[in-house]
Amino acid sequence: MNPAPFLLIAVVALLLAFALGGQSARGWLAGLLTGGGGLATAALGVLLDGSPWDWHARFALGGETVHLRLDAVSAMFLLLIAVIGAAGGVYSLTYWGNDEHPRSAGTGRRWWSALVLCMALVVNCTNGLHFLIAWELFALAAYPLVTLDRKNREARAAGWLYLAASHAGTLVLFVFFGALAAKTGSWELGDLRSRPEVAPLFWLAMFGFGVKAGLFPLYIWLPSAHANAPSHVSAIMSGVAIKMGIYGIVRFGGWLPVNTTQALSLIGLATLGTVLGIAFAHAQNDLKRLLAYCSVENVGIILIGVGAALLGQANGHPDWGRLALAGALLHVWNHGLFKSLLFLGSGSVLHATGTREMTQLGGLWRKMPWTASLFAFGSAAISALPPLNGFVSEWLIYQGLFRLGLSHAAGTWAALVAGIGLAVAGALALACFVKLCGVVFLGAPRTPVAAHAHECGTGMRRPMLVLAGVCLAVGLLPVLVRTPLEHAVAAWCLAGDATAFALPLAPLARAHLALGAALVVGAILLFRRIRGGVVRRLTWDCGYAAPAARMQYTSGALAGWTISWFRWALWPVKKWHRLDTTLPRDAAWEERTPETVLERIVQPVARALCWLGVQTRRTQHGRLQLYILYLVLGLLALTFMALGGGMK
Amino acid sequence: MTCLIETLLRLAAWLVVAPLLPGIINKVKAWVAGRKGPPVLQLYYDLARLWRKGVVQSTLASPGFIAGPVVGWIALLAAALLLPLGRHAVAPSFQGDVILLVYLLAVARFATAWAALETGSAFEGMGAAREVSFAVLAEAAVITAVLALAVQSDSLSLPAMLAPAGGTGALLLAAGLFIVLLAENCRVPFDDPNTHLELTMIHEVMVLDHSGPPLALILHGAAIKLLLFSVLLVEAVLPVGDLPALAGTGALVAGVLVVMVGVGLTESLLARAAFRQVPLMLTTAFLLCLFALLVAWRGAASPLPERPPPTVRLPGETTS
Repeated sequence: MNPAPFLLIAVVALLLAFALGGQSARGWLAGLLTGGGGLATAALGVLLDGSPWDWHARFALGGETVHLRLDAVSAMFLLLIAVIGAAGGVYSLTYWGNDEHPRSAGTGRRWWSALVLCMALVVNCTNGLHFLIAWELFALAAYPLVTLDRKNREARAAGWLYLAASHAGTLVLFVFFGALAAKTGSWELGDLRSRPEVAPLFWLAMFGFGVKAGLFPLYIWLPSAHANAPSHVSAIMSGVAIKMGIYGIVRFGGWLPVNTTQALSLIGLATLGTVLGIAFAHAQNDLKRLLAYCSVENVGIILIGVGAALLGQANGHPDWGRLALAGALLHVWNHGLFKSLLFLGSGSVLHATGTREMTQLGGLWRKMPWTASLFAFGSAAISALPPLNGFVSEWLIYQGLFRLGLSHAAGTWAALVAGIGLAVAGALALACFVKLCGVVFLGAPRTPVAAHAHECGTGMRRPMLVLAGVCLAVGLLPVLVRTPLEHAVAAWCLAGDATAFALPLAPLARAHLALGAALVVGAILLFRRIRGGVVRRLTWDCGYAAPAARMQYTSGALAGWTISWFRWALWPVKKWHRLDTTLPRDAAWEERTPETVLERIVQPVARALCWLGVQTRRTQHGRLQLYILYLVLGLLALTFMALGGGMK
Repeated sequence: MTCLIETLLRLAAWLVVAPLLPGIINKVKAWVAGRKGPPVLQLYYDLARLWRKGVVQSTLASPGFIAGPVVGWIALLAAALLLPLGRHAVAPSFQGDVILLVYLLAVARFATAWAALETGSAFEGMGAAREVSFAVLAEAAVITAVLALAVQSDSLSLPAMLAPAGGTGALLLAAGLFIVLLAENCRVPFDDPNTHLELTMIHEVMVLDHSGPPLALILHGAAIKLLLFSVLLVEAVLPVGDLPALAGTGALVAGVLVVMVGVGLTESLLARAAFRQVPLMLTTAFLLCLFALLVAWRGAASPLPERPPPTVRLPGETTS
């Protein structure tokens, strides 16, 4: 099937949506859904068929012929863009509608379709120059969305940080693509594995794309941008936009001749990011910040898989890392799906209560049963619990790592370390999401706003149901994704290596189906057994007669152990106003975990640079005599240099 | 068909045998203390009684409070079914089933902690916080042990990993897994299964508000988990799968009994450790498993000719 007509329809529809977005919400939705449908059809066609689509235009842009290419790897990302773009767009109509946000709703719709279009362009461009243009457009299109809530000071600051970090990455990418073009003599991108002299450039790619992806420790923009953006924007940023960085690393990891050191560094950083990302997430009290840090963890998981594939390839055995790569690519989808679901769910909570602070919430399941169930479902999926989709991808990554470890080749011990790191992060993620669900949705409401919450409307519920349905389908029937994954892995490896690669998903599918059936039957039987015999009483609480909402374990208390274990990395800030006098007036206790990399490393360095700049400016004071002195001193120095050189 | 019958038989074995284990431990403890102790079948009586009772439930709890125990029970049972029992019981095994086993234990943990937080009680929040936090260290130890077994046997499916004898690092692995067994099953020195109102509880404090059939499922699930960990420990060390069927089963039963006596003796002779020592003990378990992994890695990394060939010693032959 030729995807070109569908892509063309999608581009036209998304451009129309961009034009219409400001005025007509219905017209915009029609354009967005048509565009999403077109992109998804094109991507599915390539994924199921396996043969890439290649198109050379007859015209040039910036002196270079336009060359678009959609192979199975880019199609995986394209499908994710289409699905989350459509689901988030539908959600935004209710969540950020004209009634509540008359000034920014139109802007939001416009840039939403622009963002979807630009990301689709990024995964299609196969010319370095055009890739950079698309990349920059994509980075810019996200900025108005992050700062949609312009009255909010924090949102503006987050948008600025996003823009600055993003451009730091883009700057490195300019160097990367420029150097690549200089070394190969062409802006055309493609397989360069036979040219070892371009290998060092992968470091640049790792940095440039790593900033966007949220590779540890380059993720500094991510928590505040994801937390302060409107929730549907957080969903697409976390679910899709950071995956563009992953796309870059996967893409150029496949095209460049990566050596063992680079592969090991990627695995090392990814493992560190996986464990510390989830430790930071666990220490947060802000619902959306927690989810944002969790993205750092999941990006780490994905990059562990990519790094394992690169390690196998650097050892000359690309077949060793195939399972890990398949797992990583599937985790790109899975994380996109359940993280968007969770961000949309947190949007419903925010919409209903007006706060992201978990200590203000509690007991929301009674007022918001749909949101609570969907959120619980997403939490189970992101904690990689079988039989849901998160487990399928992590299972593949584990197997890839263990296979690599068992091969005993150079550097494969790192795969075992990464495996242990993945297990630790998995257990921490479980702790983190138990805490999140427990504090927000279970127990008693901690404040009146939580007690008077309301369920979200169908316009917000439906996209979440769709995302949850896809998660469930991938979890129970992992064989559904086998063909696309096999094609993507084959497209990533050289065509010759990919012989007879079959993903062993069938036995897992059987186990998952059996487990799913057993869970449903077991729950039905137990509920039938106790039906009618349930007596409702106050929580027993060891006999205490008047339990209150404030006596519940809080978010900080649930994470206490983890915070204490990771104190060396988290640097939690504690403020303790003790009771010290005989007649004390008040006591207070505050504990929060700051964005350590940003506040302890990046900001001090930036401040030192500013200070240096100020010091340097003192030499510019406008006194003529001193300027003449500078001149004389300079001339004297030059004279001595010339004399010294002359005597030799 | 035989596969189905075999799986059903194994299911029945897990369901019926599991509640025996706490009874054995209690008998050992009573014997050490010079008491008569409760009957070995006490847990069966308790389960039967609980199953007939009604349910008292907190006003705050959602349906998840009832769903939690059943999800946890089924996850533990499914994890148990993945383990081979001796030579012939290997029905649903596949490459990577060991990872499924580890994550099924995580499902049970999620469900239990979820149900605990339903009640909004500080006690149960405390238990949940401890359970999910200590599990981080326990899971690191378990996955390291799994890696050691995988490196030893060059396989990722449980029957192949557990069939041969434990190899050179067996003692380290056994010690590490025994500590994890004590921690994950809430035995002394991590937790005291006898107390109900101590501030140092982990597991018991999470199930304070459960009653009736859900509580029966929780107790039965805990027994299955205990049996699961002891079977895993025994099979990791003894070549149960390589022995003939009858001898293998005999070795498995004897091994589990030894582990139970070990748990009983530990419980009788040791006091519960101070709470801040729990992470330290679990880290020790992790390190023991890590050393086992290193031993296995070195053994497997040496080129094949250097490995001593398997010697078969005939009766009467003398070593030179």
